[in-house]
Amino acid sequence: MPLLAKFYPWGLLLLLLVLLIAYLLPLFAFGLPAHRPSIVLYGFSILEEPITEGILPAFQRSWKQKTGQEVEFYTSFGGSGTIANLIRFGAPAEVAIFSHNWDADKLKQAGLIQTDWTQFPHHGVVNRTPIVLVVRPGNPKRIHNFDDLTQLGVRIIHPDPQTSGAAYWSILAEYGAFLLSRNPPDPIDAQDKLSRLWRNIAIFGSSASASWRQFDIGFGDVLVTYEQQAVRNFGRGLSADEIVAPTCTVYAEHPAVMFDRNIPQAKRPLISAFLEFLWTDEAQRIFVKFGFRSVSTELNGANPHFLHLSSPLTIADLGGWPNAYHGIIEDVWEKKIIEKDETVVGTGLRSGLHPVPGCEARGDPANSRRPDS
Amino acid sequence: MELINAQNLMASFRRKVPGLSWRGLVMAGLFLALFPLLLMPIGAIFIFATRDGLSRFLNALSGAAAQFALRLSLLIALLTSILNSALGTLTAYVLSKYRFPAKRAVEILINLPVAIPTVIVGTSLLLLWGPLGLVGKYLDPLGIRPMFTMGGVLLAHLFVTFPYMLGSVKPVLEELEVTYEEAAYTMGAGRLGTFWYVILPSLRGALLTGTLLTFAHSLGEFGATVMVSGNLRLRTQTAPLYIFSQFEAGNVEAANAVAAVLAVLSFTIFFVLLRVREGRSTQRGAVDVNRS
Repeated sequence: MPLLAKFYPWGLLLLLLVLLIAYLLPLFAFGLPAHRPSIVLYGFSILEEPITEGILPAFQRSWKQKTGQEVEFYTSFGGSGTIANLIRFGAPAEVAIFSHNWDADKLKQAGLIQTDWTQFPHHGVVNRTPIVLVVRPGNPKRIHNFDDLTQLGVRIIHPDPQTSGAAYWSILAEYGAFLLSRNPPDPIDAQDKLSRLWRNIAIFGSSASASWRQFDIGFGDVLVTYEQQAVRNFGRGLSADEIVAPTCTVYAEHPAVMFDRNIPQAKRPLISAFLEFLWTDEAQRIFVKFGFRSVSTELNGANPHFLHLSSPLTIADLGGWPNAYHGIIEDVWEKKIIEKDETVVGTGLRSGLHPVPGCEARGDPANSRRPDS
Repeated sequence: MELINAQNLMASFRRKVPGLSWRGLVMAGLFLALFPLLLMPIGAIFIFATRDGLSRFLNALSGAAAQFALRLSLLIALLTSILNSALGTLTAYVLSKYRFPAKRAVEILINLPVAIPTVIVGTSLLLLWGPLGLVGKYLDPLGIRPMFTMGGVLLAHLFVTFPYMLGSVKPVLEELEVTYEEAAYTMGAGRLGTFWYVILPSLRGALLTGTLLTFAHSLGEFGATVMVSGNLRLRTQTAPLYIFSQFEAGNVEAANAVAAVLAVLSFTIFFVLLRVREGRSTQRGAVDVNRS
């Protein structure tokens, strides 16, 4: 076509440029510096779906009703350790929900958090979910407990302790189960079992969500993850015989914090309102719908897929975070198992422990995947 | 015994399979090698993106986060191309026309971004401009926080794509006949006039090539972006970051929808690039380099 030849290639390029600029115009219509009130929220990986699809729209509706304003949310989700590091390096987070208190504590020590989040309702814990195991249909490797993960030939998908909060909870659950399944607790045996488990790990997922992805694509025989992931995917291709509730496991409890440094005075009411919203029945019901256990335990009945757990430990049973972190994660896992440093004299937990009933029981096949009421 | 050599082998093959030739075999071999390496992965993206039908594909693309990510990537690519074409041309001009001490060292240094892994670029920018950084810690109390904003992403992209523009413009600049420049000076044109009327027009092709290369690289930039952006949806999350986040969150269709769009954009860019290069090379035959 002679006409096209006349304008090619410069005319064509000009046309493409005009189209491009037209496509970009709405960016400026949004207002690059947002004129609407906004909240910058960082959350750990598995929170992405419940927050963006449930909590945020609900809060936006409620805020609009109260004040007539539209609130915008800027969100970022990733492994709990990953987002904690991002925030430490200056990411402009205003509110964050971490996988565990230790990530929040580190930021508090760095001076980024002034408000004590343990003063919030339920000590700042927004929801909780225990650590469970997910296996292949029919459970071909006969995995019923953490002990079975120490056998030769079992390939484990495990979250990566360097970036994922789920990894810390998993280590605590594993070591806690090994330790407390004996009476009296035997730290040497527990450390040996954790070491054997660690050798079976085939893939480290950068977050709980990423680990699920790896298992879903077909890697590994067993996945160590939050119950929320299993419950959420139940019916979405996941069936009853694929979820295993260990007899002894740990409740992961997730704190919400706010970063005073990044919040201008004028925005405080909005941020406080959002934080308060997280503990309302409406928000807690949304969490339950998406598979988290509510801190208001009476709401948990709404989700029929929660597992029957005999005796989940909480971080309090393990002596609280500093104790559990230094005693188990640092002294046992990091120094002895990873760095193979035998000069460290640590027996796991510093404070005295009593065996928790149920944690003494051996893996009971009948225990896996019975719905709780 | 028959002499075994390639010709005999081919001849014997030809007796059994008429029409076969070395050329055919080589082409088939190349295709077999390239197919799983290049073509199948790209095909996988399009297959997964459209697996659940066209409406779901368009649905995945029309989400606010996806649209923002695409627009942001295109905006950053456009700004990077414009800024770097100015910077790159200026640098090429200085390097080819002026003499100054340590010129060699400077030439090597400014090509460094190509050699450095992009993640390191991102890390170094954070270590310099972040609130805990060498310069950033003085800027932070003043309220100047370049990192974790679109500005920070732009900075990273400028750094990473700079050598591409430079590498495109500088060789052409150096090849230009100095006589044209000198003629312009003798006719009374100043430095600026010479640059604008004599040198710049001959650089048109090189500038276009450089711009397109810069644009394409900026579109796909991941390593540096993931470090300096904070990965904030609807604020600093570019298209590659969106694809990665969605994949990790399990939304494979959404990730592949945007990936497919990026792939098509890149194809278009390189298609135009090739045509421009072809056009230029056929014109190289002509003596006059000033016309492009």
